[in-house]
Amino acid sequence: MKISDTVVGAGFVTAGALIIAGTMNYPILDGGHPGPSLFPRILGGLMALFGGLVGAQGLRNRDTTEDVEWLLLHKNTAFINAMFVLVGVAVYILLVERVGFLLVGALLLFVIMWRLKVPTLKAAVVAVVFTGIVHFLFAKIMRVPLPMGILWW
Amino acid sequence: MDHIWGALVMLASWKLMLTITICSVYGLFVGAVPGLTATMAAALLVPFTFFMDPLPALVAIVTMSAMAIFAGDIPAALVRIPGTPSSAAYTDDSYELTKQGKAELVLGVDVVTSAIGGLMGAVVLMTAAPLLAEVALTFTSFEYFWLAALGLSATVMIASTDPLKAGLALLVGLFLSTVGLDITLGFPRFTFGSIELLNGVDFIPAMIGLFGVSEILRNMGSSHLQYPITSVKAEGIFKGVAKTLWKYKTNMVRSGAIGTFIGILPGAGADIAAWIAYAVSKRFSKEPELYGKGAIEPIVDAGTANNACLAGDWVPALVFGIPGDSITAIVIGVLFMKGLRPGPMIFEQQPELVYAVYLSFIIANILMVPFGYLAIKVSGTMLKVPRNILMPAILMFCIVGSFAINNSFFDVGLMLAMGILGYFFENNGIPVAPIVLGMVLGPIVEQNFMVSMIKSDWDLTQFVGRPTAAILAGLTILTWLAPFIPTILRKFRSAPAA
Repeated sequence: MKISDTVVGAGFVTAGALIIAGTMNYPILDGGHPGPSLFPRILGGLMALFGGLVGAQGLRNRDTTEDVEWLLLHKNTAFINAMFVLVGVAVYILLVERVGFLLVGALLLFVIMWRLKVPTLKAAVVAVVFTGIVHFLFAKIMRVPLPMGILWW
Repeated sequence: MDHIWGALVMLASWKLMLTITICSVYGLFVGAVPGLTATMAAALLVPFTFFMDPLPALVAIVTMSAMAIFAGDIPAALVRIPGTPSSAAYTDDSYELTKQGKAELVLGVDVVTSAIGGLMGAVVLMTAAPLLAEVALTFTSFEYFWLAALGLSATVMIASTDPLKAGLALLVGLFLSTVGLDITLGFPRFTFGSIELLNGVDFIPAMIGLFGVSEILRNMGSSHLQYPITSVKAEGIFKGVAKTLWKYKTNMVRSGAIGTFIGILPGAGADIAAWIAYAVSKRFSKEPELYGKGAIEPIVDAGTANNACLAGDWVPALVFGIPGDSITAIVIGVLFMKGLRPGPMIFEQQPELVYAVYLSFIIANILMVPFGYLAIKVSGTMLKVPRNILMPAILMFCIVGSFAINNSFFDVGLMLAMGILGYFFENNGIPVAPIVLGMVLGPIVEQNFMVSMIKSDWDLTQFVGRPTAAILAGLTILTWLAPFIPTILRKFRSAPAA
């Protein structure tokens, strides 16, 4: 998802300004010297400067190269696949404690594989087997407390 | 000698040999599959190293990365797609030779030069690191500040094609390192009331997001791709290799030295080493017109350099705690996780561990030849692994790996956010590796700067008051001036004529 350098530069200028603004109420050291705010302010200033230069470069080169057709995003397979991953992980975070790793993990794997055109039965088998292997590896061998949720063991 | 014996005893265990074998296979697989990088493999390895002792954890990363950098050459030769960015420099030459029916020779040269380059790097690591550690013992906060500043500068000015965008990525990493309690007053910065952020942005989930999730997102449009693969007779890969390497023996020595030097330079990794070795090779070649059209000479050069660089990267990481590249940035994270502080004292307090790391480089590079042979033998199968199953499987490892570090779902969310950031950055020509270096170097820069300022009573001249600090300051400024030096020299040369 490429957007123009002018917009990228403007984004960094804004981010730099926000970082500096965020340090305004930070305490100072004895003798009036700057303390916790010094480093972030330098970084914010440099970020705004570099962002400005990238933006200016974009303007000078008339860089309007964008490979995103915003109105056709809903037809862009790569974008929709990526959204499946992002939304899938977000849903996983929301549900996993209540429902459990084995169920939510297998479901996440199945949905993404299905979206990537793996045959349904194959996707279901791989999802269940692979989630089982990951569970065994992390929960049983490495003792990571993966949530069990509604399952009992 | 006692230390070497102690290191050998530490390495001589079946568990460690099993770790080396598993990590070799893992590295070869990740390297050979286009779209999966050695850095991503290292990030995904960290959750496992969390449950290992320090030595197996370090040996695992050494072995895996060495194998992955070599294995990146396999798809470069067979399908014209570099398996890792480190093989990109000589992909065209490799593939052109494959089209001429010389795939076996290319892969044979790849595996042997990788092993020789790796061994050369290991020898330099073994000799240079202890010497530099002696020097580092005299360093104060001023020198450490400049060293970290030099690392930051090299990342932006040398290790990148677009210094402005690399600078922005570095600043993002440095900013992320400021999140959490500040070092002077313990004041919470940019935590937005979150208890999880008081300890800062956790490095491991961030790494997994930047290198794992972003890579998965990038692969989402091409998950159906099947590569047309040239079949290779692995039995014939060593035929003609000795003759070729003998012809280019000087190239190997030169590129081994270049690779190791680039590695020692903080911030620049194996991909940069390969590109520079390629450029130098072309400059000194008798047949520069063949480069890019199927020449074996650049493959010898760049193939030696990228593996030599790996060991070189460990020099600043072990001696100063300053990462040589993004993989050693992960190594530093692992060392801290294990309660070990990289720096000159590690050579005094844990000499056996350091020697064991040296020896593991040698073992990994010797094993590279037989393991590499086997990887080439099964290369067709590895390249046929369906990506629409592989990518979701890696996503699962990313999620569970991020959770495993602190048993926190906040970290899984952090991983996701960093994945989106990495995806957006890469697509807009902003490199991701400087973010990691910024996150590691940020606390070193800030802490040493603030300590130096407070102890010198805010007297900036003290920063160049010691000879070593002044030299490091000079080198840092020189790094910033590097792009302008050719212009300045040209002006000087043209001045008398005018």
